[in-house]
Amino acid sequence: MKKLTLLLSNIILLGVGISKAQLIDEKDVTITMDLQPVLQLDMTTSDQIEFVFDDINDYYAGITRYAATILKVSSTVSWDLYAVGRSNGGNGPEFWDQQIDYGNNNANAIPDLPLSLLELRQTQPNTGDGAAVGTFSDYSQALSDVNTPSAGNSLYVNAGTNTPPSTNDKYIAGHAGTTGVAGDDFMPGGSYMTQNTVNSNYYYTIDYRILPGLPAIFPMAADADGATFEDIETVNGAGSYAEPGVYTMYVQYILLEDQ
Amino acid sequence: MIPLYDFNLQHLRENLLFITLVVFFTSSVYSQIHCGLVEIEPNTSINSLLTFDSFQRYQGGYTINSVARIRVKVENKSTPDPLCSWSLRMIVDNNSVSGTPINEWEELYLYGLGNGSNPTIDALEIRVRNECNTSPIDGVFTNFNNDQDIIDIIAPLLAVTPAGSCTLNVNGPGSYQINYSEFNFTIDIKVKPNFTFNPGLFELNVKFVLEENP
Repeated sequence: MKKLTLLLSNIILLGVGISKAQLIDEKDVTITMDLQPVLQLDMTTSDQIEFVFDDINDYYAGITRYAATILKVSSTVSWDLYAVGRSNGGNGPEFWDQQIDYGNNNANAIPDLPLSLLELRQTQPNTGDGAAVGTFSDYSQALSDVNTPSAGNSLYVNAGTNTPPSTNDKYIAGHAGTTGVAGDDFMPGGSYMTQNTVNSNYYYTIDYRILPGLPAIFPMAADADGATFEDIETVNGAGSYAEPGVYTMYVQYILLEDQ
Repeated sequence: MIPLYDFNLQHLRENLLFITLVVFFTSSVYSQIHCGLVEIEPNTSINSLLTFDSFQRYQGGYTINSVARIRVKVENKSTPDPLCSWSLRMIVDNNSVSGTPINEWEELYLYGLGNGSNPTIDALEIRVRNECNTSPIDGVFTNFNNDQDIIDIIAPLLAVTPAGSCTLNVNGPGSYQINYSEFNFTIDIKVKPNFTFNPGLFELNVKFVLEENP
């Protein structure tokens, strides 16, 4: 009987203790955020940009196509933008494709025209190139005088591939490296749509120039590092010149996450 | 003399009685119970997915109105206790025990290189509203900063403000069924991610805790 009394009193007291617990209720709201990367390059340009050299003045002064390409960037991540010269490789990975040749195949007439003979000029300087170590970090310098060969605007080429330029080479915006330091090697996310100033880091117009010279050796052709010239005469010897004909190549613009 | 471990039945009973009395008095001192029922209806979990897949979406942010409705029901005891009142709080949780830095969203999956930083908790903004504006933060987007941060909707330990008064900090017994304008809280969320955040899949949990005041 005593056992039963003790048991009952324990149960009652325990029950009183439980009923004294503080009342509480909960509800959970879980939020999942899917941040999909957006790298958008809007390009306005004609399908073909033609340079027809049929006048002696064109050889001397070259032909410039102003604002032939407009590049507009929208990105949600830090980004780099560069241009690379490419061809189908018919004459080699770093040369223009010769579609047809004119003339009598003179031994000094060279059909291998370097892709780097094409010059680019961007209107807005690269503000994300602080970590660049090359002579020229972008294509913003003025096109040089005809009589003063310069590698400052020669197009970046890398053995026919689209491999990103190194710290020695040219970018349009941003540069090689991932330091994360603003202004050193990347452009921050943003868009040309939200800019409200005359100049924008998300909007570039590109001028093109081809300057054959006379004889036609393309004196502005230079290696990606800007230190070595690749004009016809330097590469093939004195007396060499570009073989007349029709040539094609293409410029690839690549927008990618900072790397 | 009684040995240290005495399995004698009589002594065992005495010991049990003593322990029970200690438990009883302890619970009596620290649990001052005033309400009969405290409940959120429905208290099922809500999952909300925010997909950012265009620049416009990043730029404008993502707002979801009425992502959840917190419907409060607090009943007094059968013998009414004038001290029955309640609090409602939000607690953020980023599962930091798994290694998530205290100020970031929990990373579920990364897209791309991951050279940037993961989104910070303060990118999430929450707004609470009801028709009587009973919460001091009613109608204003507020944000957390770190894991386990608390934002009070109705703060604890306030003086009792009875239901039906349609004023600030109503926390007396009542129900969304009778005083909907005071006991229903609509929750809105807004997220505007930074362009420097890593793309990827991230998660955050907000817990709504309804508790009677001691």
